[in-house]
Formats: sequence, structure tokens, C-alpha cells
Amino acid sequence: MIFLRRQLPLLITMITGLLFAGQYYVPHPASEQLLTSATKWLQIIGGFALVLGVTSLFHQHAAKIRRKEAGWGYSLVLYAGMLGTIGVGLWANGKESVDGAMTAFGWVYSFMMVPLQGTMFAILAFFIASAAYRSFRARSREAAVLLIAAVIVMMGRVPLGEYLIPLSGDVSQWILNVLNASVRRAILIGVSLGAVALSFKIIFGVERSYLGGSKE
Amino acid sequence: MTFAERMLKIDRRIIFLVIGLCTLLPLLYPVGLPVRISSEVRGVYDHIESMPERSVFLLSLDFDPASKPELHPQAIALLRHAFRKNLRVVAMTLWVAGTGMADQLLTQVAKEMGRENGKDYAFLGWSPGGTAVIINMGQNLYSTFPSDYGGKPTKGLPVLEGVQSLKDVNYMVSLAAGNPGVEAWYVFGKDKYKFELGGGCTGVMAPGLYPLLRSGQINGLIGGLRGAAEYESLIGQKGKAVAGMDAQSATHVAIVVLVIICNLFYFSLRQQRGG
Repeated sequence: MIFLRRQLPLLITMITGLLFAGQYYVPHPASEQLLTSATKWLQIIGGFALVLGVTSLFHQHAAKIRRKEAGWGYSLVLYAGMLGTIGVGLWANGKESVDGAMTAFGWVYSFMMVPLQGTMFAILAFFIASAAYRSFRARSREAAVLLIAAVIVMMGRVPLGEYLIPLSGDVSQWILNVLNASVRRAILIGVSLGAVALSFKIIFGVERSYLGGSKE
Repeated sequence: MTFAERMLKIDRRIIFLVIGLCTLLPLLYPVGLPVRISSEVRGVYDHIESMPERSVFLLSLDFDPASKPELHPQAIALLRHAFRKNLRVVAMTLWVAGTGMADQLLTQVAKEMGRENGKDYAFLGWSPGGTAVIINMGQNLYSTFPSDYGGKPTKGLPVLEGVQSLKDVNYMVSLAAGNPGVEAWYVFGKDKYKFELGGGCTGVMAPGLYPLLRSGQINGLIGGLRGAAEYESLIGQKGKAVAGMDAQSATHVAIVVLVIICNLFYFSLRQQRGG
């Protein structure tokens, strides 16, 4: 059993990891075909992941409703929304419009999902303004530098800001192009090196937490 | 409680009201301040402008309705430009929640520009797998999308004539609100299949994509509503983005004024308390 639970997954990980790391550098048709098959499999597994996600969500909220936990009413709304959408989706055969006429599924998407998601995102502007007022203070030199840079970029990114402070446009472009880009690049290089190191650890079986559980 | 203390603990509903008014009033009474064109946006515009007629332009609408206010105007401006240049437009999405919106958007602009589905443009829809979709398209576009969003087989569509994989795409732009998006299209697409790539993104994402822009990994970047407004100005067809810039201007200035006021009260309070 330990072989199936431990050694076999480690072996599969090592073989596929090394194989596909090497595949990138081999433009032979057989190698390309291997990549095509593997990505096709990935797409199929991606589809299953969607089913798994929805099922897990259903289970989690069903338990909340059964136990009448705090906020269980929201879980009920989630159930109603999800089942309702699946229902109209099946009824409309997954089509949002037929011969130019909107189906019930299209209606749910256009007049419920689109405005609801838009509203959620729009509310952010209000909270950001409130949070900026409360916490964006020059408490130290570093905070003061950040504050000044933020003010310049905010002014330089809008026509009114450029009109009020004519230099803000050029200075904000310089901040984005030079300071921001170099710092981001440094972070990216660091993250990428970390990802490469972690990949090697996974491929060679040093990092095994993805196997889950510590019981042998 | 001193005045400064009271001002620092101001009811957040007052701030909400200020932001609400700053958004609403410019939309009702637009000023129309001119938008300066940045080199990032011009990069995308110039590349499309330089493409010969019937070149293949792939547009990936990698966003959901939450980012509609910023990315929808970008997509409309790009599609208008591409159709005006008589390019073959192939659209798709890597975000399942954006599929319906992308279809509506493409149909609407194509109708406005008098373009024909299947001949001048195609909407491939969404396919599961995220970044695997990009790799698969690089290997074989028809196995990734055997049919378009309307159910028509992609093989044989005049718009895809001569197109086998991503290698045959002349220019690709990803309008992204997150991952998978511009970075994924570079790492899994352009880097291996060698096509020219441009990007569009929400305002908060734009600073994160500057390293790709500066190193030439993407040839242009349309950032947020400002980028969309610049593109609308470039194609000479002002729309929702230019209209929205007044509201964004007022909101940015309001937030800057609020931050300055808050710091003034903070320092006055610190002085009262002896540093």
C-alpha cells in the first residue's frame, strides 16, 4: 500500500516532470504530439475540476443549512441561485439567445450576473477611498515616500490631475516605467527562481506535501 | 475629543457620499478634458494600424462582468479598429463567466461595422483548462475548439483559412482582469509559438505588467479606463471610456484631497500631543 500511496506518485511526478521539462527543448513531431496529448488531458481534468468544485460547494453549504449555522440564509440564497441558473441553463440548452431572441438563461446572465458582479466591483471604490482616508498617513519616512508617489501617480493618470499639476503625467510615467518596473522585475525574478527551485524539489521527491496526509 | 480627532474619525458614510457625488456629477455634466496618449497604448494602436488587410487578429477577452466598466470599452475600441482595418478577428475567452458578455460584445460591434460571422470574425467561446488551452491552441487550434460558440465546426470557416495554430496568428491581444491573462499568454503562448502580443488590463493590474512591456515581451499595454479612453481618442470614436474619464478624474482628485486633509489633521494632532 505504501508503494501505491508514496513511491508510485513520486515516480510518476519525477518521470513526467523531467519528460516535460525536456520536451520544451525538443521540436521533434513526436515530442510535439506528446505535448498535444498531455494538454488535451489537462483540459479534460480541468473540466472535472469544475464538477468537483461545484460539488464541494454544494456539500459545504448543505452542511451549513442542516446545522443552521450563522448566516445559513445566505447558503440558501446560494442554493436557490445555483439551482435556478442550472435549471434555466438546461432548459435553454446552454444558449443565451436563439435566433436573436434572449433565452431565460441569457436573461439571468445579462440582467442578474452582469450587474451583480459589476456592483460588487464598483463598491470597492468607496471602500478604497474610506480606507485611504483612515490609513494613508505619513507615519514614517518610508510611508511619506509611498504617499507622495501614490499622489503623483493618481494625479498623473487622470486628465484633471495633469491639468492641475502639469508635471504629474511625466513623473507618474517615470515612476511606472523605471521605479515600478525595476522593483516588479526583481520580485518576478525572485519568484521565478523560487518556482524553479520548488519544481526541482517536487520532481526529485524532496517536497512531498502535495501527496497529502502524514500517515503511512 | 479635539476637532482634529473628530475629523480623523469622520463617519465613513460622508466619504462614501463625496465619492458618490464625484462619480455621478461628471457623468451628468461631462467636461471632456483632453486625454494625453501614452506610448504604451500607442504601441497596440500602431501595430494594428501597420497590419495588412485580412491579417489574423486574435482577441482573448479574459475577464468577467466584474471588470466590465474598464475592459468592455477597451474591447469595443480594439474591435472597431480591427474591423475598420478589415482584419480577420478571432475572439475567445479563458474566463467562463465572461463568455456570454464576450459574445454579446463581439456580435454588437460586428453588426455596427457590417461584418459577417464566419467570414470576417469568429467567436470560439470558452474551453476548460486555463493555460493548457493556450498550449493546446499552439499545437492545434481545431482540436482545442472543434466548433465555435454557435456550434459551427471551426474547420472550414473562411475566417480561419490558413490558420492551424497560434503560429499563424499575426497579432494577439489579451484583455485581462487577472490570471489566466496577459502573463499566461506570454509564458505559454508567445514565448513558444512566436506571435506578436499586446495586452490590456484593469487599472490595478497595469503596474504589474510594466516589466513585460519594458522588456518588449508585450508590444503595448492598454491600462484601465484611461487606456481605453486613449484608444478611443486614437481611433477617433469617443465612447464610454472618454465619458468615464471625467468621473475618474474627479474621484482621483477627491481621494488625493481626502488623503491630504487626513494627513494635515494627523500632523496637527501629533503636534498637540507633543510629537
